[in-house]
Amino acid sequence: MAFLEINNVSKQFGKETVAVEDFNLQIEKGELVSFLGPSGCGKTTTLRMVAGFELPSNGHIAINGKDVTNVPPNQRDVGMVFQAYALFPNMTVASNIGFGMKIAKKPAEQIKQRVDEMLKLIHMDDYGDRYPYQLSGGQQQRVALARALALSPQVLLLDEPLSALDAKIRVSLRSEIRAIQRTLGITTIYVTHDQEEALSISDRVVVMYQGRMEQVGSPFEIYNFPTTEFVAQFVGTLNSVSGEVLDPAAHIIKVEGQPLQTAQDLSQMRTGDKVMVAIRPERLSFTSEGIKPNLINCKVENITFLGSIVRIQVLIGGIKLYMDTFNNPFLELPKLGEETQITCSREAVLVMTMEHQVL
Amino acid sequence: MKRTTSFWTWIVFIIGMIYFFLPLIAVFEFSLRAKRGVYSFEAYRVAFMDPEFYRSFGLSLFWALLTILVSLVLIVPTAYWVHLRMRRWRPVVEFFTLMPFVVPAVVLVFGMSRLYARFSLMVELPILLIAGYVVLSFPYIYRAVDTGLRAIDVRTLTEAAQSMGAGWGTILFQVIFPNLRVAILSGVFLTFAIVMGEFTFASLLSFDAFGPYMEEIGAMRAYTPQALAVVSFLITWLCIGLINRIARGAPGQGQIAGAR
Repeated sequence: MAFLEINNVSKQFGKETVAVEDFNLQIEKGELVSFLGPSGCGKTTTLRMVAGFELPSNGHIAINGKDVTNVPPNQRDVGMVFQAYALFPNMTVASNIGFGMKIAKKPAEQIKQRVDEMLKLIHMDDYGDRYPYQLSGGQQQRVALARALALSPQVLLLDEPLSALDAKIRVSLRSEIRAIQRTLGITTIYVTHDQEEALSISDRVVVMYQGRMEQVGSPFEIYNFPTTEFVAQFVGTLNSVSGEVLDPAAHIIKVEGQPLQTAQDLSQMRTGDKVMVAIRPERLSFTSEGIKPNLINCKVENITFLGSIVRIQVLIGGIKLYMDTFNNPFLELPKLGEETQITCSREAVLVMTMEHQVL
Repeated sequence: MKRTTSFWTWIVFIIGMIYFFLPLIAVFEFSLRAKRGVYSFEAYRVAFMDPEFYRSFGLSLFWALLTILVSLVLIVPTAYWVHLRMRRWRPVVEFFTLMPFVVPAVVLVFGMSRLYARFSLMVELPILLIAGYVVLSFPYIYRAVDTGLRAIDVRTLTEAAQSMGAGWGTILFQVIFPNLRVAILSGVFLTFAIVMGEFTFASLLSFDAFGPYMEEIGAMRAYTPQALAVVSFLITWLCIGLINRIARGAPGQGQIAGAR
């Protein structure tokens, strides 16, 4: 039995709005699982049901073998960090961190000791006497994390904790959160709409769309082996174009009149069947004729410098494809309007049905 | 261009100040003329020597405190709950709290008297009076508390406290109320100032409050009512001064450190 179980959970608001539908997930002790998806996909609602702030319309939630579906939030032993920090403005940093322990009527000495421990953990030893308004956003969120951890909860829930911070602090704080989570071995759910954040921090990622789980897997699986077009599109950049099956036995499809070979099994398809073809920009590269199996004739339309990456936009017949290549000072780039050839491996060509399911 | 703007700003400011302070200065100046030919505080001495002044002032003070207590118990939890769980009902509640601005006090007092006259205790004891004052205080206390609640993220703070094991009592008294301190005090002082000078309710329900006392003195004497008017203004200003003083000392008035 998993440490945190979410079984067949659904949530409906009113008569028509289905926020979460048939959500099933088992999380092991010490695991960090991210819920990733666009706004309105149901990730925060699911988190709030685990926290006890929303009651599921159907299904059950169990923590450490105990059914908590109807247990009020103040009795769930769950720590939560909010996007808006939610530090109590009238209390100092130390009082905020010690709040839960005070409620639990722990001895003053024990509270002080734990608060000091927590301040050390978040590297803010000297900030105990400050008020939240005297701290930066990043510091406030670290205090919020310490506050959520002070009671040693069974599960830690983080609801887009870094969304309100600037890019640099976001990157450093997410590493800090992961390091603390690993040190304490606390079971954690992390909600985010930032795919880079989810991929970098998680043991597993749950990609959600329109209230449903689209795919659950390790960051590596989610990025490299998406099972639906939505996952492929949402996680990373994707070229998605329509094509048709040319020779199922030889794994060959056709895009804008040009043949492409895939590693996928097309035996269920017939010649002429319409398909969607997806290729990641970084899997495409320039090549000399005859070297690779998939040679695509194209015309360079635009080149964009993105720092460590150069993004080249090419035209194949009437469709646009993006190609990413690592930047280096000696990179030889084609000229705009130049006719050239690009290529990719068979494994890079992802074929999906028109219903957006990966074959 | 900037110079012209600044010039007109000053002109408007000076006109405003004259409009506001000139009548007050005139009242104050008149109140000092009780003795013929010299300025003196004779009118103030007469006012403060009158035992009826202390009696009516003391009664109004007591009723003001009772009104404040009842209003707070009634309005603060209501406003909190409306913000937390019944946001759609906010316009309806706002509408009801604004009723005293629309329905004149005289209509309110007659309506209440007709409805509750059969309960003699309500008329003999100042229950109806306090109830009327509470209704009068609605716009001031509700508005102030509502503004305070809008300034804090009520729902997230409540949920944060809940996730740490806090029950409703703890959430209200340790998390929400302390962060509404300035807002609540603003409402309290405004209510205090209004109740201290209120005339219609006290007069029609036959209670010897400070308002009817000032009216009575005004009918009998020339200078003492002006002295009392100045005293009333001083009480109001003292209340406003206290609100500002407390607001300045409250933590959480904007972030001062670092970027988001």
